[in-house]
Amino acid sequence: MKRIISGLWDGKGFDIALVVVALGFLMIFAGLPLIYNVVMSFQKVDIFSLGTFARPFAGFDNYRAIFADPIFVPVMKNTVIFIVASIVGQFIIGFSLALFFTLDFPGSGYLRGLFLVSWVMPGLVVGAIWNWIFAGDFGVLNFALRELGLIGGNIFWRSDTNFSLWAVIIANIWLGTSFNMILLSVGLASIPRDLYEAAELDGANALQRFWTITLPMMRATIGAIIALGLIFTLQQFDLFAAITSGGPANSSNVAQYWAWELSFREYDFARGATISVLMIVLVMIASVVYVRSTRYEVRG
Amino acid sequence: MGMVRGLLGAAALAVGSALMASTALAQTTITVWSLDDENQPALNLAREFSEMDNGITVVYREIQFDDVVSESMRAFATGQAPDIIAVDNPEHALFAARGAFLDITDMVAESDVIDPDSYFPGPLASVMWEGRLFGVPKATNTIALYYNKDLFRAAGLDPDSPPETWDELVETARTLNDPANNVYGLAFSARANEEGTFQFLPWAQMAGGGYDNLNAPGVVEALELWKTILDERLASPDTLTRGQWDSTGTFNSGNAAMVISGPWELNRMLAEAQFDWGVALLPVPHEGAERSSAMGDFNWAIFATSKHPEEAFQALEYFASQDPRLFPEWGQLPARADVDLPETGDALKDAALKVFLEQLQYAQPRGPHPEWPQISRAIQTAIQSALTGQMSAQAALDQAQATVDGILN
Amino acid sequence: MTLEWRNRVLVVIALGLAALYLFPLYWMYVTSLKTGSDIFATPPDFLPRDAKWGNYGYVWTSRGMASYMWNSIVIASGTTALTALLGTGCAYVLARYRNGWIDVALFLVLMLQVLPASLMITPIFVGFSQVGLLDTPRLAVILALTAKTMPFFVVLVRATFMSVPAELEEAALVDGNSRIGAFFSIALPLARNGILVSAILIFMQAFGEYVYSKSIIQSPTLQPASVGLNSFMGPNTFEWNNIMAYAAIYVTPILAVFVLLQRRIVAGLTSGALK
Repeated sequence: MKRIISGLWDGKGFDIALVVVALGFLMIFAGLPLIYNVVMSFQKVDIFSLGTFARPFAGFDNYRAIFADPIFVPVMKNTVIFIVASIVGQFIIGFSLALFFTLDFPGSGYLRGLFLVSWVMPGLVVGAIWNWIFAGDFGVLNFALRELGLIGGNIFWRSDTNFSLWAVIIANIWLGTSFNMILLSVGLASIPRDLYEAAELDGANALQRFWTITLPMMRATIGAIIALGLIFTLQQFDLFAAITSGGPANSSNVAQYWAWELSFREYDFARGATISVLMIVLVMIASVVYVRSTRYEVRG
Repeated sequence: MGMVRGLLGAAALAVGSALMASTALAQTTITVWSLDDENQPALNLAREFSEMDNGITVVYREIQFDDVVSESMRAFATGQAPDIIAVDNPEHALFAARGAFLDITDMVAESDVIDPDSYFPGPLASVMWEGRLFGVPKATNTIALYYNKDLFRAAGLDPDSPPETWDELVETARTLNDPANNVYGLAFSARANEEGTFQFLPWAQMAGGGYDNLNAPGVVEALELWKTILDERLASPDTLTRGQWDSTGTFNSGNAAMVISGPWELNRMLAEAQFDWGVALLPVPHEGAERSSAMGDFNWAIFATSKHPEEAFQALEYFASQDPRLFPEWGQLPARADVDLPETGDALKDAALKVFLEQLQYAQPRGPHPEWPQISRAIQTAIQSALTGQMSAQAALDQAQATVDGILN
Repeated sequence: MTLEWRNRVLVVIALGLAALYLFPLYWMYVTSLKTGSDIFATPPDFLPRDAKWGNYGYVWTSRGMASYMWNSIVIASGTTALTALLGTGCAYVLARYRNGWIDVALFLVLMLQVLPASLMITPIFVGFSQVGLLDTPRLAVILALTAKTMPFFVVLVRATFMSVPAELEEAALVDGNSRIGAFFSIALPLARNGILVSAILIFMQAFGEYVYSKSIIQSPTLQPASVGLNSFMGPNTFEWNNIMAYAAIYVTPILAVFVLLQRRIVAGLTSGALK
């Protein structure tokens, strides 16, 4: 006992306690619900048996049903497009902005701060605003594009199967740019200046400096951003609900929205849970990528 | 003296027991969940009932349309269900068939207020399950065709003879369609939720089909007609993702010449529409064809887990007794034949009401079937895949029928 | 090109980008000042024809926003405090070591956050109802929300601790400080900026949450502004101008705080703890 107390006070016990408390909390409030979902995916769930674990075992029936569903393939394809396009878009715009603001001009600090605004906006509000901007007949985006001469007729962003998914992606890129930009700015700021100065003396041009110094030094940051971006993107639900409801004809339906639809529109909780398990598998892969990326971190 | 003391004692006793009785009564609290806000009946009626001197307090919770079923299911599964719930009529069977709602057949039989025979057959069917009564219709509604008489006149059409058949509807929409001025011929909703089903089923039923007979030739024809309307841009492409309320908004602002919607629009239309309008019965496939329409709105039910079924039923009796106020005060139609609807004095509204009441006679319930959400989902999928051109109307409806067969058998 | 010209061009570009980026926000404010029919005008009006400032007062009183806003603040503050309390220590340890166990812990922190709130709410609701947490609904939301915000906080704060040189702490240990003493007197003060800033970001996230609150908090007097907005936005709404006014009232205070603090936020995150 005494050893435990002194261990807590000094040495590794203190560290372990810090981690265990936090992880324990997460296990209870995030882990258990997750397990509940996994268990449900192997059961026959009745809407009125939600309150109990004791439900008939269904084996892989739910998984078979999901794989056999005609919209499984299109939804998975949409999910991948949504994730990749969102992350790439957020990252490129965020990185460009972060680099732009390293140019250090008067007011750059203030102006950079403005790009954090999308972080402050509640998802509900963001969804409603973009819904308005994308409206086909009176939306302001169509108006702007028409005035600029980029389009002849209105694009029905929400109702055209060719555009609906991209409408949500555009809104999501807007939403995610802020956290990409700010985390990338953090990363950029931590690269020692003298590295660049030395490279400049060696005659390296801006592009070469970017490839040989910036990118390698940013590896850990980029890994973290992509992992977090994946999680935020997979969690994105409000925008689908507000802009397209996954439609028309499932053209903008993605895994997380489909899972919600099965659970709360058809009240088929088992299949909703099955999709969430598939999503977990996807994120496990991504988490491995993030954790591996931390190997390259440099202690300051 | 002794006499007086005795009397006083008795009086004190009486007062005491009266106090005790009233505190015992005051402890009864029932919860009511409904989607109505302060401009709609349920919240007001619940408040009135709560303020009455009957020892029953009502705790009212407003729930969003989209959340009614999921919230109440979750609450029921965890023993937190309210005493009374207002549930959309096609979803009533989902609960009733599983024993989640209280069988009130016997209570109704003894009630002086609620008489099942006074209700329209459609709404009544939606609260029944296997011959028993599991609730009371809260109100009812249906859909018909609103049209902009000013635009009719401007296009040289007779504002007093709205389209009566499908062909006439499409022809009229073509005539009224005016893209240069941002006017669509028609507005309706083919959204992938219950609203799409609600709007499409009347067409299917008029053509000899129904939710259990989706690939009948007439139904295919109806869906092809919808596709024609969208392909020719007689209705906004956003019809696919917009609900009835927003679609009607474009009619009110003069951006659609006709709209298919229900009486819940009347008050807003009176306030917003800056033009002369009228309401017509839903057009039929061909002259003399059978009419049909959708039956909407909510039902009251008591949860089987209620600890105060008597008090909850008293509340339902009060709500039902106030049905005559539904239309004059809140613009909703009572689901009963024995309630007279007084003239409102507003000519447009009274004329519209007449049409809706006639249309209501042809209204058919959706289901009742405990798996209704999945049936409805199959119908929505068919509508959307046909209208976006992913499948032919025939193929889409064949697929939907196969899904529905799987559920029904 | 002189330096001055370079700066001017850059400022113009930055302003242009900001204008483009902030347009959705601008659109919220403009719509909130329009009349009902002005919203549907084609072509759209970029300035309200007749600014209806009354929309704001009307929405504030008719929707009873005071209590909603208060609840939002309670929930966001509680979540922020709990997240910071639990997450800071965790982030510190995860930054201190480099081994397989740390990898596992990091992996877990991220993994547990996979599913959107809309899919987590059913199990959370069921669990909470069984332990009676639904009787204290705001606390219940704070607990559930903390689990959701923690990964982001840990990742951010961990990066901050990474920039605190280990040598400083080791020196403190040599000077006779205990492990805990070194944490509180060296690591924590040096990482203070990063922690504060991350906490502000968490506060902003928690301020907008609504999926958990909507299901867990049933009494309107305890619900946050997001739930009030959600019920205002029902499917049959036509008061888009009022909804946007509500949204504007809802986000403006936090936006104002943010604009005042943003230089510190950006500086706190971008300059390492020691710079």
